[in-house]
Formats: sequence, structure tokens, C-alpha cells
Amino acid sequence: MSALLEARNLTKVFQTGDTSFKAVDDVSLSIEPGKVLGIVGESGSGKSTVARLIMRLLEPTSGAIHVEGADLLALRGEALRKMRRHMQIVFQNPHSALNPRDTIGAALAEPYRVQTDLGGAEIERKIIELLEIVSLPAIFRYRYPHELSGGQKQRICIARAIALEPRLLVLDEPTSALDVSVQAQIIAFLQDLQKRLNLTYLFISHNLAVIRYLSDDVLVMKSGQVVESGTTDAIFRNPTQEYTRRLIASAPRTHFS
Amino acid sequence: MNALLKVDNFSLDIPTFDGVLKVLDRIDLKVEAGDTLGIVGESGCGKTVLVRSMMGIGPAAAKRTSGEITFEGKPIEELTEDEWRAIRGQTISMIFQDPMTYLNPLLTIRRQLGDVIDAHRRAGRDSSALPTNARAAELLTQVQIPDVKRVLASYPHQLSGGMRQRVLIAMALAGPPRLLIADEPTTALDVTIQAQILELLHDLVERLNLTVVMISHDVGAIAAVSRRIAVMYAGTVVEQGDARSVLANPGHPYTAGLLASLPEIEGPRKPLDPIPGFIPNLIDPPSGCRFHPRCPRATEVCARVVPPRVVLGGDQIVACHHPLHGEAPAARGAEETDA
Repeated sequence: MSALLEARNLTKVFQTGDTSFKAVDDVSLSIEPGKVLGIVGESGSGKSTVARLIMRLLEPTSGAIHVEGADLLALRGEALRKMRRHMQIVFQNPHSALNPRDTIGAALAEPYRVQTDLGGAEIERKIIELLEIVSLPAIFRYRYPHELSGGQKQRICIARAIALEPRLLVLDEPTSALDVSVQAQIIAFLQDLQKRLNLTYLFISHNLAVIRYLSDDVLVMKSGQVVESGTTDAIFRNPTQEYTRRLIASAPRTHFS
Repeated sequence: MNALLKVDNFSLDIPTFDGVLKVLDRIDLKVEAGDTLGIVGESGCGKTVLVRSMMGIGPAAAKRTSGEITFEGKPIEELTEDEWRAIRGQTISMIFQDPMTYLNPLLTIRRQLGDVIDAHRRAGRDSSALPTNARAAELLTQVQIPDVKRVLASYPHQLSGGMRQRVLIAMALAGPPRLLIADEPTTALDVTIQAQILELLHDLVERLNLTVVMISHDVGAIAAVSRRIAVMYAGTVVEQGDARSVLANPGHPYTAGLLASLPEIEGPRKPLDPIPGFIPNLIDPPSGCRFHPRCPRATEVCARVVPPRVVLGGDQIVACHHPLHGEAPAARGAEETDA
């Protein structure tokens, strides 16, 4: 089966004055359609930079990105804009990802306004559908972000990201700002959504247990480089690298018998 | 034995523009000398307000509506500001979530740690005969900082997050304190560093026979340090007892729900079982048991009557009408709610 997303030898160097910093160093990855790839690493490992490179929010210093065989880095202007509907991202902090002056309805209407030529009534219908998918009442379309809890806001961000039925959903620490019970609701929901709509996820987190729960395959990153990659079972059962072992051993245990 | 710190039927209100928040409701907790108590709960459950009240730094507008907190038998509300000055940093000291916020960016660690040591000495505490610098080095060694000389000469921005937290722990130990309050001490740190700091705290508890009250939203962090645990939900303590027993065999449906919300790092990958619904608004908290609208075991009595405290064996106490194990409580002793 051919990969939905394939990134080869991605490198990103940030230059400030005379000093340069290699945030991502020769990272390659691929995800097959309908699969979840988890990237786990500590702060500064480069995992969020990888997400931004793949979304083309940042331009890589070198390397190649292909989406369904098409060269993503060669796209410009209108062609890139059209491609964006197929790739969406959800960020860590839902509080800063929604415009405080827009209603939830306006936030959810935006992808349709930008990417489609649907009329007002049709967009309204779509918004109600989206709210239903993320298990929020339709009345929420009249609310403002400050009236919602963190978990509810993150559901809205997810709803907005899936509005155009993207082929790839990049989730960059989507539950890290949330309480554990809310995190559980969101990851159970994300898993259900992924199965229901056969979505492809690139899921980024520092939380090993969450990565293990959601991912089919895992990539472990440290200092911009891939330490180890493999199936979730292989990584967690038989990590081959010392760093992966240390990471797994450091995760606090919560289940006792 | 006399408790070092006792929270007895303590309730607290905080008036806001939208109404009065009933942030703490009849809290009962006890900390004996040498004890380690971990308070776990999600945002807004009242854990931070509770420990800040213990330290006399609760919100200024907060109003106590019942009960009291006593330290060595003395109600803390009767303490004067002068008496508090003598207690804070010496008898009780505190470490926080974000170490950078609590260090002065313009002064070296030597200067900041030295100031703390000197302040203790001026107040006639700290029996160590060492010169200030040597005492500072000793404290840093105690928190297992390897290159003491470099750290002493450093400014906070030159240290990593884990190192800064070690420095703050060293400062908190300067007294040395009778009680250390740790407010989410590892939340801002990476997992590998978090594991090191938790191990350090555990080690200090054993070595110095420290009494610790630690709060965290992270059950795992609490379990790594604390012998006893108290689980808070919406301003109430729903369950407390020996940490291992409570986590292995929770008696309160909320504790069980919280544990079922955590994906596991080992063992079979079981589906999560999230608690449905949302945390209630504490301006108008649910009547009876505050957890009842989200509870799978709730019955009619739960909405009407504040649950009595039931001893499940050992020191495991649960505030529930229908605990997951143990005897169901008799109706007597239960009080009608005023809500």
C-alpha cells in the first residue's frame, strides 16, 4: 500500500545572527492511509517543528515531503491553498486557537468560506453536523469561546479541522493543556472519530501512555533526530535504544494491584 | 498522636462578580509528623486553595464558612502577621510548579540561596555552624546537584528547569522546615526530569524524615512520593487513605473514574472509560454528593443527602452513599443538605 504522507530526510535549521540551530535533523517518516503515527519526545526534541514542516507552516532547510505521491514542497499559491483542505492541524492550546471575537459558528464556517463555495444555509447545516460529530449541542454555534471549557474548545478545534474531511489530521499535543478526565474524553473521541471516518493521524505528544493508546506506529525523537521507530508494540515491549528505555521507565505508574 | 496539621470540617467561599464560589466544602484532613500526603484532583477541585489556606496565603477575598485549620493545635486564623512570618519558610515551606517564577533572574543562585540562609540565621534559626557559602553548597549537595560550584555562580536562566527546581527545593530545606508543601512540583518538567525530581523528593522524605503535603493533578507523581493520598472533586475530599490501597482498590466512583481515564504505559491496551459530563460550576454546586450528576452508581439519595464518611478498612475513608466496596453506609449520620 502506498503511503498517504511520506517525508524524507527533513532538516530544519533556524538561523539567528551568527548562530544556527538544527531543530530537525534528517527525519524521515511515512504514514499509510487510515493509520495513526505517534511522535513522542521531550521538549526541544523537534517533534512540533516536524508537524509544522509537514503542514508547511515552516519551510524545511532540506528534504522532501510527498502527500499521496504529490510533491508538497513544489506547490505554490493557489495549488498549495487547494492542498491545505486535505491537511489540517489541531494545536495544543485551544484557548489561543479560537478568535475570541468570533462565535463558534463563525469559527466553524471559516473552512467552508475559504475552501468551498457553499451558501449560508448549507454552511449552517454543516456546522450543526460538525457539532453533532464532536458531541456538542447545536446551540453552541451561537456561543463565544470564553463561554466554553478547555475540553469543549478543543472539540471545536477538532471539528474545524475535520470540517473539510481532510486526508491527514496533524494533532500537536491536543490534550496536553487539558485535565485527565477531559483528556480521556478527547482521546477516546479522537480514536472513535479516526475509526468512523477512516482518518489518518500524525499524533504528537510527550505523554507516552497517550501515544501508546492511540498509535499504530511510533517515532521516538530526541534533539531533532529520530532515536527509534517501529510498531507501537515493538517500541513499548522491546525498545532497542537506551533513550527509549529510559523514557518508558520515567513515565509515572498509575495502576497498582 | 497529635497531628502536625489538621483540617477540620473546613469550608471556604470566594465571592466573585457572578456569585459566591463554594470552593471548599467540609474538608477533613490530618497530617502527622513524618507523613507524606498527596492531594490529587483536576483543575478547579480546590486543591491549590486548600494548601494555600494552610500557608495563610489563600485568596484575600476568601471567607471561611465552617471549621478550621490548626497547626500544632493552634488555629491558623488566630496567627498574627508576625507569627506567620516566623512560620513561613521555617516551620512550613513551599515549592511551586514553575521554578523560574520564584527565582530572581538578576541574581546568582549563590546570592539568592545565601539570602535565604542569612534570613534564617538572623531569626535565630539554622543551627549549622558553616559559613553561608559552605551551607549553600551543602544544601545544593543535599538535593543532589553534581556541579555545585557552577550552579552557585549561575543565574537562573543558565540552569535547566530540573536544576532550578532542585535549587528551590534546597531553599525550602534551608530552615529546615517541619512541613514542606509542594504545589505541582514536577508538572512543568519533562518526563525524564520529572522522574528524577520525584525520586529526589522520595529520597528526602526518607533521609530527612520530612513531612510533605504535595498536590498534583498527576496520580502517578503523587504515587511516587506519597504514602497517603486524598482525592478531591469539586471542592470536596471524596476519598483518602493509604496511597497504594486507594489506587489499587478505589472505593469512590470518582477515584475509579479518574484511574479509568488514564491510559496505561504497560500491560494490555484497554479501552478508556472516561467519566461522562463536565466539572460542575461551584457557584451552584450539585446538591447532596457533588459528583452525583456524573456518577454511574448514583441513586435518588445521592442528589438529596451529603454522603457520610465511611471507613472501608485500614485508613481508607470514602465519602459516598454507594462505595465500590465495603459496607453501604447506614442512613443515620447523614445530614440533609442545605442546598
